[in-house]
Amino acid sequence: MGMTVLASPDIHEQEDLDTAIDSDRPWQTVVWNDPVNLMSYVVRVLQQYFGYPRDVATTLMLAVHHEGHAVVCEGPREQMELHAQAMHDYGLWATIRKAPQ
Amino acid sequence: MPLTRIEAVNLAELLRQFRELIQATDTGDPAMQRLVPDAYPDDPDAARQFRELTASELLEHRDADAQAVLASLGAPLTAPATDAEALEETALALSPEQVDAWLRALTALRLVLASRLHVESEDDHDPADPRFGVYEWLGYRLETLIELTD
Repeated sequence: MGMTVLASPDIHEQEDLDTAIDSDRPWQTVVWNDPVNLMSYVVRVLQQYFGYPRDVATTLMLAVHHEGHAVVCEGPREQMELHAQAMHDYGLWATIRKAPQ
Repeated sequence: MPLTRIEAVNLAELLRQFRELIQATDTGDPAMQRLVPDAYPDDPDAARQFRELTASELLEHRDADAQAVLASLGAPLTAPATDAEALEETALALSPEQVDAWLRALTALRLVLASRLHVESEDDHDPADPRFGVYEWLGYRLETLIELTD
């Protein structure tokens, strides 16, 4: 066993770990509250487009309404962009972000 | 869905104006920005790229929805000559695809009007401005259509 065994590899390991965690964090499609879209319409869109059951769609809609926004989907960036574009097509305001740490 | 003649005439006129607006593609217009919203508020480069990729398709879809609704209304429509004619009801039979086009078109019209009227909360209302009447009527029709198809 050489002395290199005792050399501290901590910094590199930590960097590798950070990179791994960062690339594991999914992307999110976030729908934001606006004063225009009707609650019934938002529920309908979430049911129709994502195929969510009515109670899931309603919970998400209420989160948008009361908390100002809700994550409606998580996954790879390209897919979240397609979902955001689909939400824009329905007139909902959606954004894309990396899941917060 | 039952619709009076005067409602159909007014909706057709709104959609005609809406088509003019989206064909003008004034990207600085706040109403246009709401129809093609910012997908990356914290990343201007990603936001611009996303907009470049999606804007024209979104606006084409809005135009197609407007045309689909106009077709189902039987446009071009002649303005009613009498009050009785104005209140004459037509029952519209819409296919599921037409219903979806109607919902998106009514929503888009409301987004544009809300932008023009600076609507910032659900309670915003100015009884002196007749455009609020139009805005609320569109909301009523949207709600009715959702209830009918739920």
